[in-house]
Amino acid sequence: MTEKEAPVKDATESAPREGALQKEIERIEKESGAKSIAVALKDFETGLELHYNSDRWFHAASTIKVPILLGVFAAIDRGDLLPHSRVHVRNRFLSVVEGIPFRVESGRDANSAVHNAIGKMMRVDELAYHMITTSSNLATNLLLAVIGPDSVNKTLAELKLEDGIDLKRGVEDELAFDKRINNMVTADGLLKILVMLAEGKAFSPALSRRMMDILHGQEFNQGIPARLPKAARVAHKTGEISTVAHDAGVVYLPKRKPYVLVVLSEWDPDVSGRSRTIATISHTIYEALTQRPMDE
Amino acid sequence: MNNSPNFPLRVVDGLTLPADYRKALRPGEEWKDANGFPRQLPRYFYEVPSWDSAMKVELATHFLLWEFIQVDVREAPPLRTFPRYVPCAITLLAVCLERFREAVGTLVHISANGGYRSPSHRFSKNATPHAWGTAANIYRIGDTYLDNRSAIERFSLIARETLPGIWTRPYGTPTGYAEDHLHLDLGYVLSVPRDVKS
Repeated sequence: MTEKEAPVKDATESAPREGALQKEIERIEKESGAKSIAVALKDFETGLELHYNSDRWFHAASTIKVPILLGVFAAIDRGDLLPHSRVHVRNRFLSVVEGIPFRVESGRDANSAVHNAIGKMMRVDELAYHMITTSSNLATNLLLAVIGPDSVNKTLAELKLEDGIDLKRGVEDELAFDKRINNMVTADGLLKILVMLAEGKAFSPALSRRMMDILHGQEFNQGIPARLPKAARVAHKTGEISTVAHDAGVVYLPKRKPYVLVVLSEWDPDVSGRSRTIATISHTIYEALTQRPMDE
Repeated sequence: MNNSPNFPLRVVDGLTLPADYRKALRPGEEWKDANGFPRQLPRYFYEVPSWDSAMKVELATHFLLWEFIQVDVREAPPLRTFPRYVPCAITLLAVCLERFREAVGTLVHISANGGYRSPSHRFSKNATPHAWGTAANIYRIGDTYLDNRSAIERFSLIARETLPGIWTRPYGTPTGYAEDHLHLDLGYVLSVPRDVKS
């Protein structure tokens, strides 16, 4: 979508709907048992924006892979990397705590594709694909080791996306976790990145499209897409650890411009219903934006 | 410049290469190791014209040249494309690995970045025999991944018993140790083919 296509709306026009949505999300939050929920929304069709608790910081879990994807494509844009540049697949990383080596557990990746390549090489674009679509932690740490966290943070600053994203380290750095050195995000922070991608403004329309294509390949669809119509296409990234469950994506529906939705949530470790809650919020927003129940 | 049958690679004097290659390869220069001792880098290289040739050239019965020159994005850009240059001592390493393969009785896999890598490779902080073409990082032998103490120490012992003078990195996590591969090397060996002007 281009800047020209973006609708210009009177802010007061969407205020009643925004208020109703806020109340509905409050109700869902209370019923869910979550410790906290944050929602950020931007609809390119109606111009409606929603910011519910959206400046609250959450442990990023795997949603941090979206800023890392941006950092990888920044390196491609600079010419430091090519999509087909090869990266040595090695399961050994250094913790930000005293540089102590650690490994990524193979059982935590959804498939074994990257782990099976240990000792060999994989292309940057393959690793980026696995990092997003199956949330491969090994692929994530390999890419971050090549480009460096500082480079990602510099990219975020250059794109004025640093507010709401705090990248400190790779994933599965348990020593850092124990010392509460974590990657953190806000719903607004992730929203801004996804808006930029959806608008084709991250580096170039072509590179933005390539990142969106990767996000469209997401294989974990229990959150935002779960209760949307079959025709919906969602480019998104989930994130889940024992205490948080997130989903952040761009929702494409037939005959309307897309909307960007970020749902972050924090939970006690023994509370269930996380994906269901995210799916319910997504469904509620879908109905509010399209002003029709899904079965119409 | 060599008279071995079936060995088509040309020997080149690194000092005659274009400037970007000389900058990355640093032929004949001194480079300090981790203990501060100066080591002289290789000056003579085999020129590998293409990936196709790397896939065909046998350095030993069970080792083809390509296995020794797999490098990733951390290698200096001129050295990631062909023609590539590999120190002449690589043939000595291949013969040693062939002997090692006989001893273990199965496939020996050299890891990416684990054969020859230049002094400009981002992994190369101090002089390492990898930049002499005389070191190999082995991540798998047959079906055994060398990612634990038992496997690394078992195959390290076989290497030391089989190859007189070989050095293997001890198991462990500190600098100078290895915990996810077997590193073996012949030291800082310089190979000067007999018909070059040194």
